[in-house]
Amino acid sequence: MKFPRKLAALSASAACLTLALSGCGADAPKNAGPTGETGKEPVTLSLATFNEFGYEDLLKEYETLNPNVTIQHKKAATTNEARDNLTTRLAAGSGLSDIEAIEVDWLSELKEYPDQFVDLKDPAVEGRWLDWKTEAATTQDGHLIGYGTDSGPEAVCYNGALLEAAGMPSDRESVAKMLGTTWDSYFDAGKKFVAAGTGPAWFDSAGAIYQGMSNQMSKAYENEDGTVIAADNPEVKEVYTKVLTASTQDNLSAHLGQWSNDWVAGFQSQKFATTLCPGWMLGVIEGNAAGVEGWDVANVFPGGGGNWGGSYLTVPSQGKNQAEAKKLAAWLTAPEQQIKAFTAKGTFPSQVEALTSEELLGQTNAFFNDAPTGEIFAERAKAVGDSPFKGPKFFAINDAMQQALTRVDVDKSDDAESSWAKFLTAVKSL
Amino acid sequence: MSVTDRVRPQGQSIDEEIPGNRDVRRLAFSQQVSKWDVKLSPYLYISPFFLLFALTGLFPLLYTGWVSLHNWNLIGGQGKFIGFENFGFVLGQPYFWNAVGNTLSIFLLSSVPQVVLALLIAAVLDANLRAKTFWRMGVLVPFVVAPVAVGLIFNNLFADQFGLVNEFLGLLGLDPVRWHSDQLASHFAIATMVNFRWIGYNALIFLAAMQAIPRDVFEAATIDGAGRVRQFLSVTVPMLRPTVIFVAITSTIGGLQIFDEPRVFDQSGLGGADRQWQTLTMYIWELGWGQRNFGRASAVAWLLFLMIVLIALVNFLLTRRIANQGGRK
Amino acid sequence: MSSIPMIRQTAGKGAAKAAAKRPNPRAGRPRNRGGAGDIRRPGPLTYGALGAVLLASLFPLYWSFLVGSHDSTALSRGIPLLPGGNFLANAAKVFDSIPFWKAMGNSILVSTVTSASVVIFSTLAGFAFAKLRFRGSKGLLVFVIATMAVPTQLGVVPLFIVMAKLGWTGTLWAVIIPGIVTAFGVFWMTQYLRDALPDELIEAVRMDGASMIQAFWYVGFPAARPAAAMLALFTFVATWTNFFWPFIVLDPSNPTLPVALQLLQAAHFVDYSVVLAGAVLATIPLLLLFIAAGRQLVSGIMQGAVKG
Repeated sequence: MKFPRKLAALSASAACLTLALSGCGADAPKNAGPTGETGKEPVTLSLATFNEFGYEDLLKEYETLNPNVTIQHKKAATTNEARDNLTTRLAAGSGLSDIEAIEVDWLSELKEYPDQFVDLKDPAVEGRWLDWKTEAATTQDGHLIGYGTDSGPEAVCYNGALLEAAGMPSDRESVAKMLGTTWDSYFDAGKKFVAAGTGPAWFDSAGAIYQGMSNQMSKAYENEDGTVIAADNPEVKEVYTKVLTASTQDNLSAHLGQWSNDWVAGFQSQKFATTLCPGWMLGVIEGNAAGVEGWDVANVFPGGGGNWGGSYLTVPSQGKNQAEAKKLAAWLTAPEQQIKAFTAKGTFPSQVEALTSEELLGQTNAFFNDAPTGEIFAERAKAVGDSPFKGPKFFAINDAMQQALTRVDVDKSDDAESSWAKFLTAVKSL
Repeated sequence: MSVTDRVRPQGQSIDEEIPGNRDVRRLAFSQQVSKWDVKLSPYLYISPFFLLFALTGLFPLLYTGWVSLHNWNLIGGQGKFIGFENFGFVLGQPYFWNAVGNTLSIFLLSSVPQVVLALLIAAVLDANLRAKTFWRMGVLVPFVVAPVAVGLIFNNLFADQFGLVNEFLGLLGLDPVRWHSDQLASHFAIATMVNFRWIGYNALIFLAAMQAIPRDVFEAATIDGAGRVRQFLSVTVPMLRPTVIFVAITSTIGGLQIFDEPRVFDQSGLGGADRQWQTLTMYIWELGWGQRNFGRASAVAWLLFLMIVLIALVNFLLTRRIANQGGRK
Repeated sequence: MSSIPMIRQTAGKGAAKAAAKRPNPRAGRPRNRGGAGDIRRPGPLTYGALGAVLLASLFPLYWSFLVGSHDSTALSRGIPLLPGGNFLANAAKVFDSIPFWKAMGNSILVSTVTSASVVIFSTLAGFAFAKLRFRGSKGLLVFVIATMAVPTQLGVVPLFIVMAKLGWTGTLWAVIIPGIVTAFGVFWMTQYLRDALPDELIEAVRMDGASMIQAFWYVGFPAARPAAAMLALFTFVATWTNFFWPFIVLDPSNPTLPVALQLLQAAHFVDYSVVLAGAVLATIPLLLLFIAAGRQLVSGIMQGAVKG
């Protein structure tokens, strides 16, 4: 009968598949080294990053310098994916890499659980980074959760051709002077631009402006003890009103929500003359505005200085190779290495020494009218004030605020008052 | 009686025919085995599914039930036991009911056209076409296109200010539709994305069932003078009743859990600044991974589960009644 | 004479031959009557409608190829109409940036094993639910359907915990095991077998001394072939395009194709032409499968019609 033969064939193929699978699915080798020592036994470290940190060549270099170390690099495509992955594995209690890169936006929530991360404080790296960078990653008890990698100091990018058409100066220094150092002077320049009646708006959206302003509020939404003050903090309401007035009443906004299709197309159709830009945004603008002439960077930022983005390398306490991981993280975030990453992928350093390096300061950007971007952003980085206090609910409340602004500015489905009311409801439910 | 004689004496069971089974003790044993075979094999055959489900379905279900009764932060871990407080809280949230409304709206806008169009397409594919494989496999292509490509395309089509659809409407002299601001418009756009992906899939399911209908039934109907359309309504559809019910139930369950399409409709993935298109599964995601409130997310998940069971049941009863009426009894 | 070969003539491999031997009722009938059973070719209207449907279905794939064959600025300047020459250059970038071939191998392995096991176990369970009488069968079937209602998002954390305890995170087992039998598959085979497999066939073969498993193998499985082929195709495609769970549980050294594809994306500035080129490359194996399986499916479906 055919039956037994077929069954035999099936079992044989099942067995073969099993063998193949166990071959394919190699577990990460478990390393003997106890967590305290860094000896010469072979060690495999896993590193999880997202986007482009510029680490590819650096990892090879480290492996050559430390022949006992092999590095496995895991990359998530977007920060959201990385965040979801980190959250799931923290919740499950296992599965994190030896080094996990995190972004400053999620940092405040993770600071609530310092025992999940190894304290990376070390006299050897004291003073390596700009103060505001380290502060953001330190808990109230002085537990340092992560080593800073890159940062996002902000300047103002503008389209000189549009400014000229409106009868305004378009070279870098004059524009910087015209924009001034306060938000009011920035908005005033905008009113003048719009009054010239050439068509485009002044900036892309209320949300984008608010993003710049929110990082300048020392204590926006929460107190150190955890109470939520977003609803009562007069500063928040003030900024909210100011931004919306400028956007809708003074017509300075192009009503294009950031990252939306319309916003991308807006660069080509030249719908707005300026936008707040951190270093990493230059690549985005260049891509979206390909073929458009006139973009440049002004060495100024309303309110003094601002930072948007930037990441850290953390060592989760789940890991089994904590000492080696700490060593690798310290090496990767050293000024020399960060400069190499900057050259590779444009990630702007947050290390003090790196800001004075020749390579960095000599950098220019052809698309932005050969602006000395290295110099500009180095100065902007130094101008960033104290890091604002961000509690665990910062992310969620800030999101709610962005949505409130979008409702009024982009969707036009609400007026300022009713949108604010919805914001309050959202905050209360958190 | 010889061994080769095939006629069975009365009262003897099958096993007694087989040589060597004349022995009374072995008779009873193999009879016993046969009885076990009949009794136990059904349970044996369905056990792989249930074993796997116990591990990958039941355990998560019970686990999240347990979580929903506590204050539970996703990173911080288990907190206090608070009974049904999470449920009460969630049911009092306007965003919860908003998500329920959105989910039902998108579900209706997508599943009804899906089933109807899939039936029609299957009817056309059932005909004696040239190059059958090409047409039949062609309708399945949307199902395999990567979500990133689908997201890009539909965002280009439905962008508020510069999208193709609005430009087209402008050519016709109509006002542009605010796809990302207006609640119903966003549902329509997302339903289009969902339909695009699943119509071909459902069409093939109907096609498989249609092909199983014996051709003589259509012959008889043709002889009786029924035209194409009449045949479709009075012969094909009633004979497809079990398949229609199957598709109705699976698309109900799938439709109420829509997650991927609304999530890529904008960059933030939250469902719009006013939650215009936030479905229940997106709300679960926001509570659990956005706010890290695992307890509340689990509560919503359980409510969704109960809702799906209820609606699928209603759908089943409705479809059965409709399909019954379509045919001759 | 054993009755088993006779049964195989109305279902399974012998069906076509047996059908050919039966007198053709259509011989001699007039040819121009309407109806679905007619062998007349459909007219241009039908083809026109089908053409429109197919155009809509194939458009995204074509569009992906279009954008993938230009460079990064093409998209922001408006949608191109004709392909550019950049596809191979983009493809090279795809192969450089991600472990494409390894991911493809993993995807093939996972999808094949999953669809094979889903078909086997679902047919087995479907056979039991549809044709065998046992206590609790109705209730259990409803329970199976109800399990489809469990939302997947929340199952992620507990499922991950289970996989971690078993030590399977990072291995392909973690992706295969949760999918080896699906409620959809069981439901699908149950409702198909209910109609497509007459009770008399099973009784006949049982009366001739077949055990349950033989009844399944010789009667149930062949009768289920068309639906099984369909289920295999659906499961293969669904497993191939599954992103979320493999992303959570696998490591980047060992990804499946959708996970590897996502690596082409960066949050802020994305070269969509490379991403879409990668998307097209990832779809090619499926298209090949369609071509191969399509013919099988068409012939399988035609054979499977059991006179009831």
